[in-house]
Amino acid sequence: MAPTTATSTKPINVKLLLIGNSSVGKSSLLLRFSDEQWLPEDESSATIGVDFRVHKMDIKGKKVKLSIWDTAGQERFRTITSSYYRGAQGIILVYDVSNRESFEALPRWYSELETYVSSSVVKILVGNKVDKEFSRQVPTAEAEKFAARMSSLFIETSAKTSVGVREAFQEVVESILDTPELWENPANKTHNTSGGNGGVPGGVQVVGLSDEPKQDSGCAC
Amino acid sequence: MPTELPYAADAEMSLTYDELEVLRLQYQKELAQDHVTTQTKFNLCWGLVKSPIHEHQVEGVKLLQEIYRAEPARRRECLYYLALGHFKMGNFEEARRFNALLLDKEPTNLQAQSLGQLINKGAARDGYIGMALVGGVAAVGTLLLAGLIRRARK
Repeated sequence: MAPTTATSTKPINVKLLLIGNSSVGKSSLLLRFSDEQWLPEDESSATIGVDFRVHKMDIKGKKVKLSIWDTAGQERFRTITSSYYRGAQGIILVYDVSNRESFEALPRWYSELETYVSSSVVKILVGNKVDKEFSRQVPTAEAEKFAARMSSLFIETSAKTSVGVREAFQEVVESILDTPELWENPANKTHNTSGGNGGVPGGVQVVGLSDEPKQDSGCAC
Repeated sequence: MPTELPYAADAEMSLTYDELEVLRLQYQKELAQDHVTTQTKFNLCWGLVKSPIHEHQVEGVKLLQEIYRAEPARRRECLYYLALGHFKMGNFEEARRFNALLLDKEPTNLQAQSLGQLINKGAARDGYIGMALVGGVAAVGTLLLAGLIRRARK
């Protein structure tokens, strides 16, 4: 196999993870982005565990294959969804601009990120449901400031009207592409510079009882 | 650009040995104290059902059935993972039955819809394999027979 031609045609694999409180619209954002669809509140159902979609994009002249993991926001799934952080290069943290509580919960989500992903992972804070402007509880400026403090990108969206949705995903991916250590290697390189983690976080524990670093599971499928 | 079909991620992704062990230890600890929380039990079920090992899947499904009976509030999750567990074991009829119960309650549930597609695909593949086996046996039989006939003629 000639590596030069392989790298130019092979898409770059990017793993994104959607996190945030329940009913802030994570699945709706994904559905709007991937299928240009929208389900009204009474028809949409809370995600069970995790959902997953693959989406192909061309960004900055590069072919990108996005796998987007949509996690359940419910407390009951909190311990188990943490195992999905493994290998994520971008994290989309979602809150609902008309629900103050979902914004106040963000520090908890950020502290989970500290535990599970490396610091070079790209983060974007997404204030969803701007179509509910009349009942807004989180001012844009406040959220913007918070995002900057957490070294995250920031955008406001509406999965319902599709405002900002494409841009949100695009910005994360562009930022990942600007951080080559997140996606260059490891699969198609023979020697690995094991200095950095290559964007792959070390040990991910489900409930974090042990502190030993984990090996990757043997299964490559 | 088109998106590939939604996908039941839990069908293919399993936990590492250590991760599953953490869940099991927690469960055994609570079992020893005679007070198992639903959350702990559910977490173990989830890990077991995702496992590629058949005995794990069987155990996971069994525990899920217990939760399903005891905790009405957990039923939708149980249905989903029961369907997933049976799907992974190759019990496509059972899988379809549990998934249909979930779809009855939530007809627009995209996860159940995509799991349903996986189940149908699995069942169809089983059918093909069955046909291929029958076909293969027939083909081998024909060859043997042809050989015998030829040898008999020599």
